[in-house]
Amino acid sequence: MKVTTAFRDGIRRVNGAPMVLVGMFSVTLLIALPLSYALRGMIATHFGPSLAADSAAAGANYDWWQEFSAQATGLGTTFVPSIVGFGAVLDNLSGLLDNLPVASTIAGVTAAWLVVWSFLSGGVIDRLARARRTRSLGFFGACGMHFWRLLRLGACGWLFYWILFTYLHGWIFTAWLPRLTRDVTAERTAFAVRLLGYAIFGVLVVVVNVVFDYARVRLVVEDRRGGIGALAAGIRFVARHAASVLGLYAVNAVAFLVLVTIYAVVATRAPGAGLSMWLTLAVAEGYILARHYLKLLFYASETAFFQGALAHAGYTAAPAVVWPDSPAAETIVNADPAALPERWR
Amino acid sequence: MAGSMLAASAPPAQPVVNRAAIQDSAVPPPAPRSPRNANYTISARLDPARRTITGTERLSWRNPAAVPATTLRFHLYYNAWRNTGSTWMRERALGATTRVDQRPLDDFGWIDVTSIGAEGTGGTTADLTSRARFIAPDDGNADDRTVMEVPVDTPIAPGQTITLQIAWTSRIPRTFARTGAVGNFFFIAQWFPKIGVLEDAGWNAHQFHSPTEFFADFGNYDVQLTVPEGWIVGATGVERDRRQGPDGTTTHHYYQEDVHDFAWTTSPDYLDQHALFEDAKLPRVDIRLLLQPEHVGQAERHFAAARATLKYYGEWFGPYPYTHLTVVDPAWQSSAGGMEYPTLLTAGSRWLAPRGTLSPEGVTIHEAGHQWWYGLVASNEFEHAWMDEGLNTFATARVIEQAFPRNDYVKRYFGDFVPWVFRGHPLTRQTDGDRMGPYRLSPKGDAQSTPTFRYWPATASVITYNKTALWLHTLERLLGWETVQRILSTYFSRWAFRHPAPQDFFAVVNEVSGRDLTWFFDQVYRGSTVFDYGVDTFRSEVSTVQGRVDGEQGPSPRGELKPSRVTTTVVVRRFGEGIFPVDVRVVFENQEEVRWHWDGQDRWKLFQVEKPVRASFVQVDPENVLLLDVNYTNNSATLQPQAKAAARKWSLLWLVWLQDHLLTYGFFV
Repeated sequence: MKVTTAFRDGIRRVNGAPMVLVGMFSVTLLIALPLSYALRGMIATHFGPSLAADSAAAGANYDWWQEFSAQATGLGTTFVPSIVGFGAVLDNLSGLLDNLPVASTIAGVTAAWLVVWSFLSGGVIDRLARARRTRSLGFFGACGMHFWRLLRLGACGWLFYWILFTYLHGWIFTAWLPRLTRDVTAERTAFAVRLLGYAIFGVLVVVVNVVFDYARVRLVVEDRRGGIGALAAGIRFVARHAASVLGLYAVNAVAFLVLVTIYAVVATRAPGAGLSMWLTLAVAEGYILARHYLKLLFYASETAFFQGALAHAGYTAAPAVVWPDSPAAETIVNADPAALPERWR
Repeated sequence: MAGSMLAASAPPAQPVVNRAAIQDSAVPPPAPRSPRNANYTISARLDPARRTITGTERLSWRNPAAVPATTLRFHLYYNAWRNTGSTWMRERALGATTRVDQRPLDDFGWIDVTSIGAEGTGGTTADLTSRARFIAPDDGNADDRTVMEVPVDTPIAPGQTITLQIAWTSRIPRTFARTGAVGNFFFIAQWFPKIGVLEDAGWNAHQFHSPTEFFADFGNYDVQLTVPEGWIVGATGVERDRRQGPDGTTTHHYYQEDVHDFAWTTSPDYLDQHALFEDAKLPRVDIRLLLQPEHVGQAERHFAAARATLKYYGEWFGPYPYTHLTVVDPAWQSSAGGMEYPTLLTAGSRWLAPRGTLSPEGVTIHEAGHQWWYGLVASNEFEHAWMDEGLNTFATARVIEQAFPRNDYVKRYFGDFVPWVFRGHPLTRQTDGDRMGPYRLSPKGDAQSTPTFRYWPATASVITYNKTALWLHTLERLLGWETVQRILSTYFSRWAFRHPAPQDFFAVVNEVSGRDLTWFFDQVYRGSTVFDYGVDTFRSEVSTVQGRVDGEQGPSPRGELKPSRVTTTVVVRRFGEGIFPVDVRVVFENQEEVRWHWDGQDRWKLFQVEKPVRASFVQVDPENVLLLDVNYTNNSATLQPQAKAAARKWSLLWLVWLQDHLLTYGFFV
């Protein structure tokens, strides 16, 4: 299967699963909302009856913000001027790439979100692989069935990522780069060297990411019981289709960059408290929804690519086979002999 | 009206003779502007490969004090980086976030005086070399070699002059304290044996301390600098001539009168650009910019900042007396940026420097401003750093407000390289220029009257820069700019080319303002008082009378509304220890307002007023005169608070940030 075909197929599959998109978006929103509410209380308490709230409601009151920051503890320390608009995206991307520590006050919710997402990803991949409705029973059944396997696979992934971000990142960015640029007197040269560092680090992280992506897909699609086995299968698959796999990854990454660029253009500065706030929020949540879409597209296009590379590439999901049969079983059962390669007939 | 002429100059043919210098020498020399107590003729040769300087100096020093000098004291600043035992290194380790004591051995620098001789009559020279010893007058640190004392044979009487011949070699450090080298960029400051200041009470020659800078007498500098051929040199003063050496070197001859220091820089990479400052009311100044190639697009921004400084400082305080100003744009990672020297300054910029932010303008203005507060009014930076840094921070912020009002919050990402400007976050003079934020975090770091070299290193800059700017701005709002401008111009004209002490400044303030502000300086200078006024209670209710009410129908045992009367009650409180007179302003629903003046002495004060309408809001210090107030949010209260609306908006915007954060980490699953 061509990369572009897999990407288009991924789009088709995500478009065919709007409730999955809405559901995943809602999960993220619901996990984040309580902290937002807690922060709201902290901000309101600090304002009290002060007139400073008027200007902060109408726009941005940097003077007040500095006062708030000076006394802020816990969650309040994450409320900084750079969270506004596109700054939020830069803040997070830069934080991840530069391996900045996650504030302890949001580390818990981040971990919780990752666990919930791991739980749901089994159902999501299952749904996208079947490319048809699976209903709640099927969706959550797949979530439950694959959860512990995915969690084990995830733990294995975290080990790799931990090594990459702790040792490799440290070596590249706090040992190698400073040595390499110690006598560099032009900032643009130093930045170019840093970009090289990002590229080296990025390639290794992407390789690990791709392997675990396909391990995850194979675990669900092939109803694999063991995380290690799935990882080995993922490695084999990536090794056999390296160019296409990385090509598809690149197409997805470009889609992400396009989205981020669009948001950089449309994201507004601090709005007022009325209609402009809701419009700004609508744009921002639209961006967040699109991020979810792209996340699902990653899953869907990789799943489509994997399925397209199988012998039963042309399987269709109809008529439905009731869960708990795996997508692979469904494929075999429903395989149209005419769609099979000639040598398989 | 300032104008400019911008052009990149071609490498001059050799030898070069400065025509302006010749023209200057053709006219009768003007009367000395300064006492010229310490005059240096220096010859120095740079070996960039070995990072060494070999130099000789002829120092002519006149005893300016009322007491004879039996010894001479010299600063050997480069020895601050001789080893980790120096006082500078020990103090830096206390307050720094990065470990200077773990830097590679190759980074360290030092200076060794190889000979000292005193010229006598008849061409004789008495060798004083063996008598030299290191002393540590501030802390007794035996490992510190930044002050050298040399006894003399015959005491030098007040007004008498001694001439010394000194030779030295020095190793240039990888930059510490804004002097040193990186790659082929050299910025050389505090680099030669420099005599201290003799006062009536004795030598004022402190060791080099981490939080402080320098103090020296005025004089003339005649300096020959030998560097590799083709390297561009910038220095204090004007280049008079240039000679080609037989060994692939060029000697640049610089000269400057009436300054108290000499710094220079050299690199083959500089772009040498020039502009003019011209103003109908101020002297013309040649501005030279030594620019890093990667900042070529920022030249006009540097010139605009330098011209704004020359214009506003010139109009407000007094004209810049020299004919030239050199702005040095230092190399990336050189750590040489943001420093002032007579007629020369190091600015500082970034490769990506978006407009609407104050890099490079802010630092260029600040360091150019030091020509007034440090260069001309030469207060003792060891002991009273606030007198130059604080005054200059205040003035810098004011120039920025006038000339570069657009100043948005900027943050850099991806290794601190990529800037993003938050257009919705305009920075104000008091928060950004006066630097209120850091001050709020440590207002009690030190009493400002403590000698600066004894400040806690980690908060020394806050007390020196931020607090002074804030209390000067407070004075501006209290007395009015016209008065403060007269204070500063009087202080400048009275103390230019001299060494004022804090009481000299306070005396000018009291004299020009016509008010005794000792109470103010007792708090902001002699103490570490924190100011915080706020609204404690704010009510506005329909007036009632309970109990036995005397009405037209006689006494009545019931509660009764007083028709059409609303009682507004305000309690304001002094939460901090600082005392400052403040206004209290209440605005009513019909836009009427009532204003009381409170001397701010008591812990709290009750104000009540009856009006036909309810109050809308109350403010303590409504004009924010007291900029030292560390919590201005509590200075107001409204009966229609917008806290919920504001909190909802900001928490929802933060929600988006958190969602994006989660999705970013979703990369892993």
